[in-house]
Amino acid sequence: MTLLHFQLLSAAIFCIGLYGVLARRSAVLVLMSIELMLNAVNLQLVAFGAFSGFGTSTGQVIAVFVITIAAAEVGLALAIVMRLFRSRGGVNMDEIDVMRG
Amino acid sequence: MGLALFYAAAFLTLLASFGVVATRNIVHAALFLLAALAGVAGLFVLLYAEFLALVQLLIYGGAIIIVILFALMLTRSGEYEGETETRRRPFAAVAAALLFGLMTAVFVADAEQFNTNTRQAIPFRTLAEDLFAAWAVPFEIASLVLLVALIGAVVIGRAGREEDETLPEDDEPDDAEGPVRRGSRRRAERRRRGV
Amino acid sequence: MEQAWLIPVFGFGAFAFLALFRKYLPGQGKHLAVLAIIAAFVAVWPVLFDMLDKGVGEHHFPRDWFSAGPLEVGWGIIVDPLTVAMLALITFVSVIVQVYSLGYMRHNGTDDSRIGWYFAVHSLFSASMLMLVLADNLLLLYVAWELVGLCSYLLIGFWFERRSAAEAAKKAFVTTRIGDVGLLIGVVLLIVEFGTVDIIEIMGSLGDPGVNQAVVTASAFLVFFGAMGKSAQFPLHVWLPDAMEGPTPVSALIHAATMVTAGVFLVARLFPLFDATDSAQMAIASIGLVTALMGAAMALVMTDLKRILAYSTMSHLGFMMLALGAGGYTAAIFHLLMHGIAKAMLFLSAGSIMHAAHEETDIRKMGGLRKRMPITSAAFTIGALALAGIPPLNAFWSKDEILLAVADGLNPVFVVLFLIAIVLSALYMGRAVLVVFFGKLKPENLDIHESPRIMAWPLALLAGLAVVTGFIALPIGYEGIGTFLVAPGDKPHAFEVVPIWLVASVVLALGGLALAYLLYGKEDTSRVDALRERFARAHDIVANRFYMDHAYQWTIDRVVLKVSGLLARFDRKVVNDVGVNGPGLGAVEAGRRLRYHVTGLFADYGLGIVVGVAVLGALLWFGV
Repeated sequence: MTLLHFQLLSAAIFCIGLYGVLARRSAVLVLMSIELMLNAVNLQLVAFGAFSGFGTSTGQVIAVFVITIAAAEVGLALAIVMRLFRSRGGVNMDEIDVMRG
Repeated sequence: MGLALFYAAAFLTLLASFGVVATRNIVHAALFLLAALAGVAGLFVLLYAEFLALVQLLIYGGAIIIVILFALMLTRSGEYEGETETRRRPFAAVAAALLFGLMTAVFVADAEQFNTNTRQAIPFRTLAEDLFAAWAVPFEIASLVLLVALIGAVVIGRAGREEDETLPEDDEPDDAEGPVRRGSRRRAERRRRGV
Repeated sequence: MEQAWLIPVFGFGAFAFLALFRKYLPGQGKHLAVLAIIAAFVAVWPVLFDMLDKGVGEHHFPRDWFSAGPLEVGWGIIVDPLTVAMLALITFVSVIVQVYSLGYMRHNGTDDSRIGWYFAVHSLFSASMLMLVLADNLLLLYVAWELVGLCSYLLIGFWFERRSAAEAAKKAFVTTRIGDVGLLIGVVLLIVEFGTVDIIEIMGSLGDPGVNQAVVTASAFLVFFGAMGKSAQFPLHVWLPDAMEGPTPVSALIHAATMVTAGVFLVARLFPLFDATDSAQMAIASIGLVTALMGAAMALVMTDLKRILAYSTMSHLGFMMLALGAGGYTAAIFHLLMHGIAKAMLFLSAGSIMHAAHEETDIRKMGGLRKRMPITSAAFTIGALALAGIPPLNAFWSKDEILLAVADGLNPVFVVLFLIAIVLSALYMGRAVLVVFFGKLKPENLDIHESPRIMAWPLALLAGLAVVTGFIALPIGYEGIGTFLVAPGDKPHAFEVVPIWLVASVVLALGGLALAYLLYGKEDTSRVDALRERFARAHDIVANRFYMDHAYQWTIDRVVLKVSGLLARFDRKVVNDVGVNGPGLGAVEAGRRLRYHVTGLFADYGLGIVVGVAVLGALLWFGV
C-alpha cells in the first residue's frame, strides 16, 4: 500500500465527479458530483499527510477546512436550487442560461 | 491485510461513485453518494486519520446527505422523468478520461520519490494542538464562513418565498384552488372584526 | 544687460492680458498695448548704453527649459550690436505703428469691432520679434520665428470676413512654412552635429576638426531656405504682395520693417555659418540679386499703391541678402534699419491716403494729393527719395555701403545688375510719387483731407528720422557703424566713402528719378503707353508677376492635390479601413460568430475549463 494507490484512486473519484458535473442535468446531481470531487481532494490531502514522512498534521487540518467549506457550499447551493425551483419550476441545468450571449 | 482492506474500500468507493453519476433515480444517487462517502471514511481510517473518518461520517453522512434529501423532496426532483444527461455527455466523458490519463501519468512518474515512505499515524493530541493553535485563525475564519453561509442560505430561501407571493396566480398551477393571499386574508379578517 | 529679457515680457504680458480681459476694458484695452510697447521701447535704451559700455553680453538663466538626453536647452539671451540695433528698430517702429493704429483703426469715429484683438496680436508680434532677436539658442529662436509667422497670419487675415484677406493669410502662412521646414531641418542638423543649441557655441566651433563640413553646408542652405520664406526671397516671395490685404499699419510693421527682415537677421545671426561656405554665400547673393531685380521690375508696373510698396520691400530685402552674400554684414544690417524706417513711413503714408480715400489703393485714380495732404505727401516723398538713394536721406548711406560690399566681394556682373536695380528703384519710387501726389486732382478725390493728428504725427516723426538716421554711419560720438555693427570674427572697419561708387550711385539714382519725371511727370501718358506697346510681352510677363503665381497654382492643382488625393485614398482605404477599422470589424465579426457558442450554460463553460486545464497541465508536464 503506497501513496500511489491513494493517488490513483483519488484521481479516479475526481474524474468521475467531474464527469457528473459536466454531464448531469439536475442541479442536485451536479451538487452531489461536486461533493465527490471534494472528497477525492480530501483523500489526496490526507494521503499526502500520512505518507509525507514528516508526521505532519497539515493534510488532515486542511481536509477539515475543506469539509467545512463543503458544508457551507452545500447549504448555500441548495438554497439557490430551492429558489430556482420556485421561480422557474425546475432545476434543469440546461434551462439555466441567463448568461447566454 | 492492509492492502486487501484498501482494495475493498477502494472498490466500494469507486462503485458507489459510478452509481452517483450513472443512476437515473436521484434518490438512489443520493444513497450511492452516502456509500461513496462511507468508503472514503474507511480509506481515512486506513490512513490512520480516525478523526477525519468520524467527521466525514458525521458531517457528510449525517448532515449533507440529509440536506440533499430534503432538497430533493422539496424540489420534487425525484419525480423528474426523462433525460438525466445532457447532450454533451460524450465530451464530458472524454474530458474526464483525458484528465484521468494526465493525472495518472503525473502520479506514476512522481511515485518514485514517495514509494519508500510508509503510513504514519498522527496522535490526536498533535492534531488538536495544530488545529487550535497553529491554525487557529483559519479555523475561526472557517467558522465565520459557515455562519455567513448559513445566513446567506436563509436569506436566499426567504427572499424566494416572498417573491413567490408576488407572482401572479397563473404561475402556480399546482395550487388548483388558488392560494388565498395573505393580504386579502388580513383584510377579510379585519372586515370580520368590523374594524 | 541681464535685464534685457524683460523687453519682450511687456508684449507677452499685454497679449495675455488683452486676450483674456479685453472685453472688460475701455476701448478693449488698446491703450494698454500701446503703453506696453512704449515701456519696451524705453527699456531698450539702458540695454543699448550698457552694451556700448561693456561690449557683447550673454545671459543664461540658471533654470533649463528642458533637457533631452545629453542635450540641454536653456533660456538665455544674447546682447550684441545686432540684437540691440534690431531691438531699437522693432520697438521704435512698433510704438509708431501702434500709435498710428489708434487713428487708423477708427472708421467714421468708431473703433474696429475687434480692436482689442488687433492690439493683442500686435503686442504678441512685437514680443515674439524681440524674443527672436534676443534668443541665444536655436530652439528659442525657432519658437519665436514661428510665433512671428503666426502673428503675421492673424494680422493679414484680420479682416477675415473678406475672402481675399483670408486667402492671403493662408497663402502667407503656407508659403513661409515651406521655408520654415527647411529652417527646422537645418536647425536640427546643427543641433545633432554640434550637440548643443547655443548659437555662439555652434558658431565658435564651426571649423573644429571632426565637424562634418557637408552637414554644415547643408544646414547653411536649409537655414537660408527658411530665411527665404520669411524674407520673401525668390521663389518664395509670392505671399508678400498678397499680404497687403491686412490693415496697412500691419504692412508697415510686419511686412516692411520687422518680420520680413527676420530672414536677413537670421542670416546675420548665423553669419559665420554662411561665411564658412562659399557656395551658400554665392547662393544668397544670387537669390538676393534676382529678388531685387524682380521686385523692382514688378514694382514698376503695379498700379496698386500697397503692392508697389510690397514689391519695393521685396526688392530691398534682396539688396540686404545680396549684401550678406557679398560678406557685407554691416551694410546689410545698416540697410535693414534704414529701410525699416523709410518703408514703415511709406506704408503709413499709404495708409493715410487709403484712410482718406475710402480704402482706394489704385494709383491711377489718385493724383494731385500733394495739396490736400501735405504731411502725408511730404513723408511719402521723403521715404521714396530715401529708398531711391538720394543723399543725405538715410537709405542712401546704407545703399552705398551695400554697393561697396558688392563691388568688394563679388564679380562685376553682380555690380552691374545691382546698379540697374538702383536705377529701377529710383524709377518706381519716382513714378509712385509723381502719379499719386503730383498732377491734377481727380474729381472723385475732391473730399480728401489730411488724416487726423494721431496718424500725422508718427509720419512727421518718421520723416525727421529718415533724414537724420543715415548719419549714424559716420563716427559721430562713437566709432561709427563699421565698428559698431561688425560680423562676429570680422575686423571692424571705418565707414568709408569711395568717390567713384558714391558718384555713380547718386548719378544713377538721379537718373532714375529724371526718367520717372520724363515718363510720368506730365499729364499725358503717351510715352508710357508707347513704351508699354513696344515691350508688350515683357510688360505682360512682369505685370503677371512672372507667372509664378500661376505656376504655383498649377502645381498645387495638378500635382499637390493629385498626390494628396492619392495619399488620402491610401489613408482611407488602407490605413483606416484595414489598419484601424479592420481589427475592430474583425472583433465584431468574431463576436457575431462566437456568440452562438456562449450558451450561458454552466456545463459548457465547465467543459471548456476542464479541457483548458488538461491541455495546460499536459503542456507543463511534458515540458513543452
